[in-house]
Amino acid sequence: MSAALGPRGSTPVRESRPGAVRRRPSGSRAAAYLVVRLTGVLLAVLVLGHFALTHVVTDVAETGSAFVGRRWGSLLWVAWDWTMLGAAFAHGGAGMWIALDDYTPQPSARRRRRALLVAVCAGLWALGSVVIAVAVL
Amino acid sequence: MSTIQLAFAVALTAVLLGVAAFAAVVGRAAVRSDGGSHPTRRLAARMLRTPEERAELNRWAFYLHRVSGVAIFGFLCLHVLDIGVYSLSRSLYDELHTVYGSAPMRVFECGLLFAILFHTFNGLRILAIDFADLGMAPARRLLAGVVATTALLGIAGSVVILAPVVT
Repeated sequence: MSAALGPRGSTPVRESRPGAVRRRPSGSRAAAYLVVRLTGVLLAVLVLGHFALTHVVTDVAETGSAFVGRRWGSLLWVAWDWTMLGAAFAHGGAGMWIALDDYTPQPSARRRRRALLVAVCAGLWALGSVVIAVAVL
Repeated sequence: MSTIQLAFAVALTAVLLGVAAFAAVVGRAAVRSDGGSHPTRRLAARMLRTPEERAELNRWAFYLHRVSGVAIFGFLCLHVLDIGVYSLSRSLYDELHTVYGSAPMRVFECGLLFAILFHTFNGLRILAIDFADLGMAPARRLLAGVVATTALLGIAGSVVILAPVVT
């Protein structure tokens, strides 16, 4: 790995550059790698399917509240959307965790940003879950 | 433009600015690992590279993967919030949702499509590299496939998305 230096020129930035000689990830980083890969396969189907449905099969202008209501009348789409919501925040959260790690060498700033990331992901996942639950019940 | 539509436009602009700022951070790190902004030092760093590091295209794919990932995450956060309005009031949601059909938003949706396609196929390429233990050359050939698929599906999808406002 080439000597990439942090903002103060002292702390090496762990930049996971492909091809560069690097250490095998460990700890929370290894867990994040696994979460990203496992949920990634799921999202490849769920997100592309979602985008195709709301932009190609249906014109986006036609996807107002009537469309949402009709779709959430079917358990298949409720399951699809709720799985996608969870997988998306797990994937995005774990991916951002790794990126944040790479560009935040200072431990105190890293702790703050990790806490913010977890709060945003958990909060929005909970909000999305409540929205789906309220619509279904 | 109503208040909620304006709020959405402001939030989307904030997301786009955030993505641009993150892209700048990634770009600066890229220049740093190239030996810095000084040309002589950059040349030296280039000559001191290990064979494993001589994979420029894989490297740019990595940077693009990262920036597209952050962009999609930013939109995901905004999208969950805008769907949240559906719980508050259906008519307010419909008012907000008309933004999605507007011409500038459709252009953004095309960009989002390209980001999702590249991120998906490049992610699957990374899995293939991990599991099939691919070397440098097959990884590069796969990258060509990723770029071609992204371009093909992206252009086809963009034609469908933009058609209602172009004609």
